[in-house]
Amino acid sequence: MRRELIFLLALWKANLIAAMEYRASFLTQVIGMILNDGFYFVFWIIFFDRFQQIQGWKLNDMFLLFGLVAAGFGIAVYFFGNTWQLVDVIINGQLDYYLSLPRPVLLHVLASRSISSGLGDAIYGFMSFFLAQQLTLDAFGRFILGIFFSATILISFLVLVQCLAFWIGNAQLLTSNALYAVITFSSYPITLFDGTARFLLLTILPAGLIGAIPAELVRSFSWSRLLQLCGATMIFLSLSVFLFYRGLRRYESGSAIQTQV
Amino acid sequence: MNKYWAIFKTQLLNRLTYPADLLGHGVTIVIYLWVFIFLWRTTYRVMGASEGSIAGLTLNQTIWYLMLAETLMLSKPRLSRLISAAVKDGSVAYMLNKPYNFLLYHFSMGLGDSLTNMIFNLLAGGALVWLMQSPPPPAWGWPLVLLTMILAWMIDFCFAAIIGLAAFVAEEVNAFDWIYQKLLFILGGMLIPLDFFPDWLRSISKASPFAYMIFGPARLFVEPSLERFVTLLIGQIIWLSGLGAIVTVSYRRGLRWLAINGG
Repeated sequence: MRRELIFLLALWKANLIAAMEYRASFLTQVIGMILNDGFYFVFWIIFFDRFQQIQGWKLNDMFLLFGLVAAGFGIAVYFFGNTWQLVDVIINGQLDYYLSLPRPVLLHVLASRSISSGLGDAIYGFMSFFLAQQLTLDAFGRFILGIFFSATILISFLVLVQCLAFWIGNAQLLTSNALYAVITFSSYPITLFDGTARFLLLTILPAGLIGAIPAELVRSFSWSRLLQLCGATMIFLSLSVFLFYRGLRRYESGSAIQTQV
Repeated sequence: MNKYWAIFKTQLLNRLTYPADLLGHGVTIVIYLWVFIFLWRTTYRVMGASEGSIAGLTLNQTIWYLMLAETLMLSKPRLSRLISAAVKDGSVAYMLNKPYNFLLYHFSMGLGDSLTNMIFNLLAGGALVWLMQSPPPPAWGWPLVLLTMILAWMIDFCFAAIIGLAAFVAEEVNAFDWIYQKLLFILGGMLIPLDFFPDWLRSISKASPFAYMIFGPARLFVEPSLERFVTLLIGQIIWLSGLGAIVTVSYRRGLRWLAINGG
């Protein structure tokens, strides 16, 4: 475990050094993403200015939800950037490189790329949290915990979807739609959905577990919610790791010679 | 013009060769509209306006408005990214010395892309809204809407070209593109009709070119009238002329700035 952690830190350091080679581009992406998120949130400001509250959700709740999803997404994108391209890595036979090295393959693939704009999302997420008027140390601690759950479930879900490429080949379309769906649904109040829709958002498409449930944990702590999130995180994480290594047995490559720069 | 027509047709056929990709676009619009249907049904119910209207729009009109707004938004290609990528990988050098105008080449390609995307988005989005909500607005307005959609697409092309051409100087234009998209989301009325805005913001938004790209055609679609059509058309032509001139100047200046790194 300690070895893996040192390895991860080394990868993140290398990614940061690589990004710093193009500082202007790095800063443009980070600042641009903060502005991008801010502009998007104007929608909710206008919406709640007009309608005040929807099913018990007010503007502050949206600040919290949006902040949590943005920070979870941003941290996942920044530290495990290849999560968004795993399907390309699999179908283009680029796993060869990772398979030839004595390190956990999945961890190595996911963390070997960093998307700078993710840092902008994460920073915006924290700004949004501060605007949600939950300014206690206790709530901040729960926010950090919520981000951890949100990012882990998001990464696990996307790995699960992309692992299907081992069986069905080109799963790019499926991946992009799964990503759109999970991000879209996670940034809306879950109280909008009922019955089957809500059940789906808490299971097959775990948008509720990425957004609304962690946000509720931040808003008010409850052991049952914490256990629910711990359980869901464990299940999604285990399933994704299991399916990836199961799929790896079916992996075929064109023996393409590649150099990791 | 023949060569641009040929480029347009080639791109059209190219897209039709991969129907699964087009179906994927259809799924994306369904996802967004499904969320919007839940959001606005709840909103109208909470406001006690399920059978009435809010700011002059009924629930059915709001949902159909969003269907067309989403179609417009999701059908356009990310042209600025294509130009930026061509500058970064050096392939722009090969495109610039071909016997066609670089911008018109992208215009033809983009139009081919958008047309196929638009048809699939309209079919998928329209079917969902019809099934879940209500029949579409009056058909007599559709040809008028189609014309304004084409002009809206051309205005978008100008913006995308200006952002893409900025890559000749700045290389990385993603951030500009994100912000442009969000301006369309908000000031264009893609996420929420401008009718629901506070007065001061509605005035600003309606005066911006973004409203002529999304809000105008979508509002005309749900409540067609000749007066609305003429006002929209004049506004679109004015913005198109201004932005077209900026694109031409930017292109000429950009060529002087361009530094090719490889390819």
